[in-house]
Amino acid sequence: MRRAYQTLAGLVLGLAANAHGGTLVVHVDDGHGHPADSAVVTLESPGRDGAPPAPATHTIDQRDETFIPYVEVMRPGEQVVFRNSDNTRHQVYSFSELKRFEYVLRPGASSPPLTIDGSGIVAVGCNIHDEMITYLFVTSAPARVTGKDGNARFEDLAPGKYPVRVWHPQLKPGDQGARLEAVVAEGGPATPTPVHLTLLPDPRASMDREHMGY
Amino acid sequence: MPHLGFRLRVALFFVATIIAVQALTAILGYEVARRELVRQGGAQLEANSNAFVAQMDDIAARVASSVQVLSQDYGLRSAIGEQDHGTVLSILRNHGRRVGATRMQLVGLDGKVQADTAHPGTAAAPFARPALLEGAFDGRKAAVVAENGTVFWQVVVPIYAPQPAGLVVASVPIDDKLLTHMQELSTLPRDVEMMTRPAGKPWAVVAHGGGEARLPPGFFAGNDHFPDAPVLAQSGGREYLVLARSFPQAAAGDPEVAAVLGYSLDEALRPYRSVWLTWAGLVVLGLVLGVLGSVLIARSVSRPVEALAAAARRIEAGDYRAPEGLRRNDEIGQLATSFQAMTAAIGQREERIREQALHDAVTGLPNRVASQAAIDRPRATSEATLVMLGITRLPEIIKTVGHALGDRLMHDAGHRLSDLAGSRLVGRVSDTQFVLWLPDAGRTRATELASRLLDALGRPFVEGDFSIDMGPAIGIACAPGDGEDAATLLRHAEIAQFAASGSARGLAFYDAATDPHRPDRLSLMGDLREAIDQGQLTLHYQPKLDLASGRVTAAEALIRWQHPRRGLVPPDAFIGVAEETGNIGRLTRWVINDALARARAWTEVGHPINIAVNLSARDLEDPDLTRRISDLTALHGVASSILTLEVTESAVIADPARALQELRRLADLGFKIAVDDFGVGQSSFAYLRQMPLHELKIDKTFIRNLASDEGDRVVVRSIVDLSHRLGLRVTAEGAEDTAALDYLREVGCDCAQGFQIAAAMPAQAFAERFLVDGTTA
Repeated sequence: MRRAYQTLAGLVLGLAANAHGGTLVVHVDDGHGHPADSAVVTLESPGRDGAPPAPATHTIDQRDETFIPYVEVMRPGEQVVFRNSDNTRHQVYSFSELKRFEYVLRPGASSPPLTIDGSGIVAVGCNIHDEMITYLFVTSAPARVTGKDGNARFEDLAPGKYPVRVWHPQLKPGDQGARLEAVVAEGGPATPTPVHLTLLPDPRASMDREHMGY
Repeated sequence: MPHLGFRLRVALFFVATIIAVQALTAILGYEVARRELVRQGGAQLEANSNAFVAQMDDIAARVASSVQVLSQDYGLRSAIGEQDHGTVLSILRNHGRRVGATRMQLVGLDGKVQADTAHPGTAAAPFARPALLEGAFDGRKAAVVAENGTVFWQVVVPIYAPQPAGLVVASVPIDDKLLTHMQELSTLPRDVEMMTRPAGKPWAVVAHGGGEARLPPGFFAGNDHFPDAPVLAQSGGREYLVLARSFPQAAAGDPEVAAVLGYSLDEALRPYRSVWLTWAGLVVLGLVLGVLGSVLIARSVSRPVEALAAAARRIEAGDYRAPEGLRRNDEIGQLATSFQAMTAAIGQREERIREQALHDAVTGLPNRVASQAAIDRPRATSEATLVMLGITRLPEIIKTVGHALGDRLMHDAGHRLSDLAGSRLVGRVSDTQFVLWLPDAGRTRATELASRLLDALGRPFVEGDFSIDMGPAIGIACAPGDGEDAATLLRHAEIAQFAASGSARGLAFYDAATDPHRPDRLSLMGDLREAIDQGQLTLHYQPKLDLASGRVTAAEALIRWQHPRRGLVPPDAFIGVAEETGNIGRLTRWVINDALARARAWTEVGHPINIAVNLSARDLEDPDLTRRISDLTALHGVASSILTLEVTESAVIADPARALQELRRLADLGFKIAVDDFGVGQSSFAYLRQMPLHELKIDKTFIRNLASDEGDRVVVRSIVDLSHRLGLRVTAEGAEDTAALDYLREVGCDCAQGFQIAAAMPAQAFAERFLVDGTTA
């Protein structure tokens, strides 16, 4: 019904004008004109990923009862370590189909490295602090997380058409995010490709789930 | 009170005005209060409906937060994560009981029911209200829904594990208990109902709160439109303010649900009812007091006024008693006081006037009017006596010494009378007359008292050098014989008193026979004139016997009146009247005429009888008397010597010079003159000597007892002697026996008259008896 009428709007691409190739900038907003950070933009077509090789072990810090970062992009087979930087205990868990685990971390402790095999999304929460949540986005395709300005930037892309998928942790349940085709032009200026998402409120500390407006 | 007095009308007007104003005020007050109640009730209802909705929301929030806790239950999360259906159901049931939900459902992110406490074994079916699920992750999602005749709050809460993992739907029934509970906790209106209308069916109440003022069942049956603002509605004779709040449908085709909030005006007006009743009671009380007060005031005003009016009527009738019960301090009291003062003044004045009107100023005795009234008063006894005492000399005294002394004399006389009279009435009835009324005394006692009165008043009145005889005379009239009423008694007593004043004794009783003022005498005069004209009068003749010859030589003509109704009227009865009324001249002429006619007749048959007729004193006053008699003599052609004219001494004495002159003229003409009743009057030889007399008639009082009385014999003999010496003939009247006749013959008396010889008789009889065979000369 109110199912995404989201527009696969702009196919206008900012093309890299330099000799190395084109640049793709995808701009994600929350449908209300505000730039949306923490969105994961994935280029699904095979192509060269100009991103630096990811470290083998990702660290998800826990500070001020918040997972940092909110969204972590991983490649299948890489490891993740949960580190407790708070002086309170955290019980980190996940019921995701990709990986189920549960660690009780005392202050200052870290979990043993956990290897994630396969692609998918692992939602991780804290059983003690309901508002704590983080997502491990496991994919082998090139993927970038949008920053505060809502932009995800891909450099040195060969000109051509790229299928793009945009996901966000605050998408409604069942919402698969946005899929679109981006055109990368040679050496052209990187005109941001706009993506509109409909998002739920941020479930983290900024909001209190127990006072959701009832 | 038959008619409304002024004050009562004023008071009633005010009372009516007050009632009208009160009634208007009451209506106004009621309207104002009612409108205010409606307005306040409406506002309250609206506020309450908002509160109700807010409370409902609170319930939903409470349920939601409770379910929220459930959703964060790690057991549930892990059970869901591990897809442990049985555990999920048991956890849902457990939590459902905690939050008061009768049904708990777990719905997957795909919208299919994964677990349902109401239908534990059912396979996954789509949730009936997907729209309810849709916004669940956005925030609140709850709806009022009706299912199977029950209204529920369906609250949807997402489950995070930690990302959204499903939705828990809790169904909390909104039943009577809940509504009542809500009412208890809040200022909800008096009544609240939950109604539903399944598609195509009428509205039906599915739950209602407690409270006294229950909306009638089926209040909105068949009513499509719900008032979203307070409206007045009537049901079962009661008035309600009604407001409905409908709840949004959670899914198309769901039954509509609404809450109806009612506010009973009657209930709201109940606190005022006692005020109305009190007020109405006050109005009625005021009305009663007002009317009562009006009546009392009107009575307190009208009563004394009526009393004054009654007193005025009494005064009109002559009763001067003060009106009673009017001692008050208000204006009426002042009026009554003035009224009483006026009444007393009028009474005193009237008393004085009455005193003056009924009393003699000089003596202080009751006057004629008062005396008359006293005499006319009914008395116990039949016999009563009125004594009238006249001071006969008073006019003379006043002329001599003046009124002042006359008044003092009368004052003294009044005192003397009063002293003797005791308690009996003494009054002054005229200038010279007193009366003494003896209502219990007969003739004898009256005589006795009269004597004492005469003695008392016989003493002269002495003042300074004056010693004055009063000359009292008493006349007495006795009731009932002499009259019954005061006027008659007074008149008769006065007549008696006049008679007494001429008598030596100074005392006389009324005698009807001699009363010259009897009323019948007046009518007699009229009759007398007729009698003369119609020949009712006749002359009778009494013979006069010549003692020497023993023959009747003369007669005295005596008049007789055969009255057609009265019969024979004695001469005494009408001659006096004729004298007084001036008719005696006429009568005398008739007598003389008739006598002369008789004399002529008898003379013609050879009996020249001398006839004597009586002349009264009035006749002698008539200057034409001589001429008339001589004319008659000439007319009948008889000698004047055949007629003898008899006069009494008193007739001459009244006016001697004139009488003597007249008599001389008659004597000169040849008529014979005789003195009648000689010896009893004031016989004066001086006059006797001057009179041209031929004959002297000795009064019968000397003759009657002649046979036995020596004194009378001497007198008679002396008179006869004296008369003969004076050359007069002598006739004796009243000769009633032969002894008297013998003595008269013996002493040489010329003639005699009387029953012994013959009584008077008609001319025919006289002629037959005495004028036969030459017995006359």
